[in-house]
Amino acid sequence: MRHILLCTCLLLSCGGMLAAPSSKASGPQQAAEPSKQAADQSKQAPASSAQADRGEQVFTTNCVRCHTPPGGMPQRVTGTIVMHMRVRARLSREDEQALLRFLAP
Amino acid sequence: MLTRLTKSGLYLAIVACFVALPGLVSAQEADNHAGHIPLISGGMGYVQNWNGGVTSLEPQINPVLLVPFGSHVLLESRVDFTGFFQHEHQTYGSFTGKVFKTVEFAQVDWLANTHAIATFGRYLLPFGIYNERLQPIWIKNLQDSPITATIGTRSGGAGTGPMARGVIVQRPSYSAQYSAYYSMPSDVEQLQSLKLAGGDGSLFWSKPRLEAGDSYQRVLQDRHINNVAAYVSWQPRDTHIDLKAEYDYSYYGNGYWLESAYLLDRPEIPALFRRIQMVGRVQQFVPLHGGGNSLPRVNQQRLDVGLNYNLRDNLRMVSSYGRSFSSTGDANVWNIGFTYRFTLPLWPERK
Repeated sequence: MRHILLCTCLLLSCGGMLAAPSSKASGPQQAAEPSKQAADQSKQAPASSAQADRGEQVFTTNCVRCHTPPGGMPQRVTGTIVMHMRVRARLSREDEQALLRFLAP
Repeated sequence: MLTRLTKSGLYLAIVACFVALPGLVSAQEADNHAGHIPLISGGMGYVQNWNGGVTSLEPQINPVLLVPFGSHVLLESRVDFTGFFQHEHQTYGSFTGKVFKTVEFAQVDWLANTHAIATFGRYLLPFGIYNERLQPIWIKNLQDSPITATIGTRSGGAGTGPMARGVIVQRPSYSAQYSAYYSMPSDVEQLQSLKLAGGDGSLFWSKPRLEAGDSYQRVLQDRHINNVAAYVSWQPRDTHIDLKAEYDYSYYGNGYWLESAYLLDRPEIPALFRRIQMVGRVQQFVPLHGGGNSLPRVNQQRLDVGLNYNLRDNLRMVSSYGRSFSSTGDANVWNIGFTYRFTLPLWPERK
């Protein structure tokens, strides 16, 4: 019985790994239209800059209250860690989103 | 009763499921590249302690498992493995001891919205600021806990059952947060908890980075007692000063602790010394009704000074000296060691 359970869960693991969509955080998206992407980025630059400032503000206001800033956090785990911090520090949804834009732009 | 092999198989199966499920659930936001990958994080370290001539060796590791299901549900758990070794005959002889294992928390969080995060499972009791925020080895500035740390945090500092927490109101200049919980009694080994209910509320002023809060807890078993804490935390902007203070009251005693920490991170200081953090703590405890219940039975005061050195952002050397004063005798307390914070993604990066 336990062998069946083990095999089932291992098969689920393999299935999950094969079915996983490629995440944005797994690496930079290959630019199919680099010129369009650059144009979009330049239009969004002022808004992105403001958003990054807000995120940095949330970071320096909240995170450092308890611990030193974490360095070198891989982008693929940033969302998970910020969720964990949102629970611990009772952050708002807006602060969470600002943090994510700052830590994983 | 499960056999050891069945238990191992069950643990492996559970881990395999958790590794698999995030791959089936996507969680992407439009304006960031943050991933929601399960990981193991946490802290580890080693502290050697000398207390009144008695040496203790305390290795410790606290892995934290974080498994998100989308961007609104998080499964998280932390286990503590702490070794405690002393001389066979207190001050001489070979070292002997054991490793203590505790499930500090194992909970499921539903991040519903800004105002409500629903938690169920075994959770850290939100009483005061030490238990939930400052207790991890890689966070705390001084390795010895305050004398009053056990007020409101009996039975491993955890409760079992439901908890709600979140933001009551948020404005540019301030925000108000809350926590409310109910804990069921449990006498399962390593998962003990008391029957109690309580809550916490705090105000945070963002510009001065000043927080003030209050915790209340009612124990609903044995001697039904009230526990109360009031705390302040302040990190003035443009400085590297960290000030914290807490007053705790229980049926068995009351006391306070004040702690300040200063990181020498100023441009006029040579780079080598900018990683130094100086810490000081003063505390006092007065027993009531004879004390006990993991609290001292006599008046006690203690002064600690510490020096920490951040080798890297996740690796530091820690050291402290404390002097404890009580009617049963004064004692010198020394600590020296290191702490390390680690992060281990459980999902490979895709190329």
